[in-house]
Amino acid sequence: MAMHEQRHAVEELVYRTCLALDAKDWKGFLGLCDPGFRYSITTYSPEIKKDMTWLDHDRGGIETLLGNLPKHNSDHSPITRHATVYTVAFDEAKAQADVVSAVQVFRTGLDGGATELFAVGHFHDTVKLNGDGPKLLRRNVRLDTRLMGYGYHIPF
Amino acid sequence: MAKNAAEWAARPRFPTSHYVDARIYSDPQLFEEEKEKVFKPCWIIACHESEVPNVHDYRLFTHPTGAPLIIVRGEDRKVRAFYNICPHRGNAILYDPSGNAKRMTCIFHQWSFDAQGACVDISRAEQGYQDRFCKADASLREVKCDIAFGGFVWVNLDDAGPTLREFIGPALDMLEPNMQEPMEVFHFHKAVVDTNFKLWHDTNSEFYHDFLHYFNRITGMMQPGYFDRKYTGYPNGHASVGSMSIKYDAYQSGTDRIGWPGLAPGGWILIDVFPGMTYNLRTSVMRMDTVVPLGPDKVVIEFRGLGLKRDTPEERTKRIFDHNMIWGPFGRNLHEDLLAVHGQGIAMKHGTDARWVLQGREENSTIHDEVGMRHYYAEWSRRMGRPAHDPFHEGKPAAAARAVA
Repeated sequence: MAMHEQRHAVEELVYRTCLALDAKDWKGFLGLCDPGFRYSITTYSPEIKKDMTWLDHDRGGIETLLGNLPKHNSDHSPITRHATVYTVAFDEAKAQADVVSAVQVFRTGLDGGATELFAVGHFHDTVKLNGDGPKLLRRNVRLDTRLMGYGYHIPF
Repeated sequence: MAKNAAEWAARPRFPTSHYVDARIYSDPQLFEEEKEKVFKPCWIIACHESEVPNVHDYRLFTHPTGAPLIIVRGEDRKVRAFYNICPHRGNAILYDPSGNAKRMTCIFHQWSFDAQGACVDISRAEQGYQDRFCKADASLREVKCDIAFGGFVWVNLDDAGPTLREFIGPALDMLEPNMQEPMEVFHFHKAVVDTNFKLWHDTNSEFYHDFLHYFNRITGMMQPGYFDRKYTGYPNGHASVGSMSIKYDAYQSGTDRIGWPGLAPGGWILIDVFPGMTYNLRTSVMRMDTVVPLGPDKVVIEFRGLGLKRDTPEERTKRIFDHNMIWGPFGRNLHEDLLAVHGQGIAMKHGTDARWVLQGREENSTIHDEVGMRHYYAEWSRRMGRPAHDPFHEGKPAAAARAVA
């Protein structure tokens, strides 16, 4: 596959993960992920001057989290993830690509439909390049936003 | 059958100690009084000593009264607290929430202060003030400060008030065996919620709301010993809840828990400190909540997660995992708790005709008894000089309520 075609496939993977998560299509999202998938949310606290991990799960942990969502009491306002792929660095020896994307998350209230910016940050993805198409191997959502009101149950 | 307006407004058929007037959660006048009568004389947690480990490390904290504070470690390693207000023209001296400053210098006119609150430089002092005003006249306002009970940094704005140990009394005795080793903050985040600060502390003061949490229902409520946990009230409005064993595997299997010194495996001890702090030690993590009200209907809650200073990287990773599972910003329980008090803020804001909040459950002070909240409001009423059930002294308890009492 030509380099520009490979980059296009990687970009489309990132965008498809956003579409699947926005649609709460957990099966569709996990279908875009490698069996060795790992997901984390991290940020830096200037208050305590430390890097913080706010969520860190392997694929099994993410499946449990998503599967249990209906049993929890959650904010039902939908969120939309707006990603822009900035860089794609291919490692042909590993058959992987490291991808950095800017991401903004918007939340739209159910009553009245007002949309507010919920969070900004970056996706730091590792994509496995398989013969049957790229799969998400690792996603770290590096947040700039740390103040998110009453929070949210669904990973960004 | 639903209630009509008169029935809705009627006082609950409980003793007056078993309900509160909903206006205590929204009234601006009461809130202004709370700042003076509740927050100002009480000891408040500003941060943890691990946040200022080195000489000249500082941390900013907005006191619930609104006073901006600097917490700074001096050359003598003593941690002190000062107003973050320049005595010249009232500018904030320090802006960043934490840092290290040998000299704390106001950006406006370069007045400079040391870590003991002394003014060490006034720009062009002699030319402007001659002998009428000097550095000795320009010291910072120092606030009482003490480090205790797990290494937390406590402050008190009332120079004449009780000592920290007098204020706490025996309330934290239950946790003392678990706080013998130095702790370290690994997690900090804030949540701003449109609700009254007391509603958050109420939630931390009653476990009946475990019905809100799927996680707590299957790991706690359905396990032996859950209903044996008892509340204990202490002087000054503090209260504790004893331990039980949480069955974490009931939610997600395959995760080993590393525990906490002196705490039984799966143990859980919670102690509420008046007027808005909560020690919450659960299995492998200490959580601290501190409420800082921004108004009668808005609060910022500061959340801290702590491990042991001696943790290996592997141990710390496990504590962080345990913390985030339920208490992180994406945790299963925290979002539910915040969502609930957000809903209370909507339903009880000024003008909604919310009338009473019931605290009437009696179960021999065990886990679903609402004695924790009753104990809090007895102290609140004493300090405010206003009964929480009738804060504006508008009426007398109904005959039915007296009969029940």
